[in-house]
Amino acid sequence: MTMRLAAAELVDSREILPGQWLQAYHAPDIANGSRAGQFVHVRTGDYSGMVLRRPFSINTADAATGIVTIHFRVIGRGTEWFTRLRHGDPIDLLGPLGRPFEVDPRSRHLLLIAGGLGMAGVRMLADEAIRDGRQVTLLFGATSAREVYPSSLLPDEVEYVVATDDGSLGHRGFVTELVPQFEGWADQAFACGPMPMLRSLARLAEGRRGRLGVASLGRKRGGGRTDLLGSTAARRKAFLQVSMEQNMGCAVGACLGCVVLSVTGTPQRVCREGPVFASDELVWDGAWS
Amino acid sequence: MKAKRRVVTSVGRPAGAKRTPTIRRIRPAIVPATPRPLVEPVVAPEAANDAVEATSGEIDLTVDLGRGLVLPNPIVVASGTFGYGIEYGDVVDVDRLGAICCKGTTLKPRIGNPTPRVTETPGGMLNSIGLQNPGVDAVVEKYAATWATWKVPVIVNVAGESVADYVAVTRKLEGVPGIAGIELNISCPNVGRGGLQFAIDAAAAGEVTAAVRRATDLPLLVKLSPNVADIRPIARAIADAGADALTAINTLSGIAVAPDRRKPLLGNIYGGLSGPAVKPVALRIVYEAAGAVRIPVIAIGGVTELADVLDFLAVGAVAVQVGTAIFADPTLPVRLVGQLEAECRRVGVPSHRDLVGSAVLKRTAAASAKGVEYRP
Repeated sequence: MTMRLAAAELVDSREILPGQWLQAYHAPDIANGSRAGQFVHVRTGDYSGMVLRRPFSINTADAATGIVTIHFRVIGRGTEWFTRLRHGDPIDLLGPLGRPFEVDPRSRHLLLIAGGLGMAGVRMLADEAIRDGRQVTLLFGATSAREVYPSSLLPDEVEYVVATDDGSLGHRGFVTELVPQFEGWADQAFACGPMPMLRSLARLAEGRRGRLGVASLGRKRGGGRTDLLGSTAARRKAFLQVSMEQNMGCAVGACLGCVVLSVTGTPQRVCREGPVFASDELVWDGAWS
Repeated sequence: MKAKRRVVTSVGRPAGAKRTPTIRRIRPAIVPATPRPLVEPVVAPEAANDAVEATSGEIDLTVDLGRGLVLPNPIVVASGTFGYGIEYGDVVDVDRLGAICCKGTTLKPRIGNPTPRVTETPGGMLNSIGLQNPGVDAVVEKYAATWATWKVPVIVNVAGESVADYVAVTRKLEGVPGIAGIELNISCPNVGRGGLQFAIDAAAAGEVTAAVRRATDLPLLVKLSPNVADIRPIARAIADAGADALTAINTLSGIAVAPDRRKPLLGNIYGGLSGPAVKPVALRIVYEAAGAVRIPVIAIGGVTELADVLDFLAVGAVAVQVGTAIFADPTLPVRLVGQLEAECRRVGVPSHRDLVGSAVLKRTAAASAKGVEYRP
């Protein structure tokens, strides 16, 4: 579905965790046709002070009710402005934007990995996967128990495994330490979170075939044409897809503000070629990472 | 007092004197002393018709920049904020714009600066894209055919590191269908050698303009940098070298600090400030540049609403570019066209050109001749 400017209305807003908000907007145009991994670019009401829109992952989208939810942490004046919105307040959304997660039709077991606010990036994929009859395990990492995303907000079918830095809930340590237990089970993995987490996941994914001897899905690497960078096929065939974050200007690919570096040495726009990339398409070290 | 009077008289000196009159003669706006009454439905049909005729004739919004480049209206989208014109898709009807200035284009592809590249600041934003672009050959190959099908003129923003670069890019654009003009970007503040060295020195600015002028018959705009002590000698040098119009201003060089305060926020350390925060600076530079040259000046800097457009026209600009505001409101430029037309109707002028220069005082020349002492 092509992007559009849509008028939306706030229908629900609550602080689900300290400083983290879940807001529901009635935006049928956006809810209908958006896919997991895509995002919306939302205008604040104070244009003279805040000249940029704010990008938010589409946390959930329900075509039947026309409700789109976003999940964010209050980190500045923009996000603080959103928390002051009341039921019925109008808002201007540009979306859906970016390219979505691509699940291989043959994948039965999906591993979702979220660090902190990264939950917002992969949350909708859980809905889509369960709708399509796949099994979903969601690994979630946070600093402590009070930052852990409530399981009540997840579908019942999801296996939810938590790691906290201080061990106050679940595994003590990084969420990435849980991945080896699941990498044999999982057909594909999808991650969103802080850069160090994504970087270590990308390294894990790189060595996975060697460790497990897993047959790759689809065409063998080097055995045929290579898929175009950023293409749907490249993502669908990848074991790990990551949802990237960057400071964003226009969110439609015009300003080139939000780029990440690809292995071919060309910058890729997070808003246009991304935000979802196959992990082996990106450079994970260096000045740009 | 005496000094002031002496400079004022210099305005009236005959041409040929070193300091020629610096104000372009602006046609007096035919603004009625009292606003024209709105047409009320109760007015007798005859009278109503007369009134309609007086106020609702075609409003002429065209802008003639010379060499055959006539913009259908004075609302232009700024380089770097509108990509190559295709990115906004159906959200913006490009054919209703006055012109599109595309992303800065260099001879060879450039990958640009490390991230983060953009950040919001109070009333504005900093960017340090670093002239990322696929190179002039790829730009011509990928986009020119599409541009040729559009009614809107597409002006290619040209950047480089040397005079030879600018000339080489220009030669590749010469004669390509779909390319209506060139905007010489000698003012990018975000790359080590992005041409800024040309924008801060009158002789260098004149040299690069003249070299490009010799290389092309395309309409030639030159984009000025605000990061200079005095814009007037630079503007004059560019005009004397044969530019058809000036664009003012590019971004102001600035820095933001990372949240942890352990380093600058932007990957490139420096960024260019744009948005409503720079509007007063842009107004000053347009005011001074328009007073210094006879070629048209296209204003840019913090336009977010009709009032900003009117302000820039008032200080002598013939057209305005909208940049940062597009990010928040992609449809703003198209709406401004309609609003400007309505404003012309409201004040009863047949063209927005009658609004140009209304705030330029006769004394301008005197003030500007006094130099830069009012600046820090």
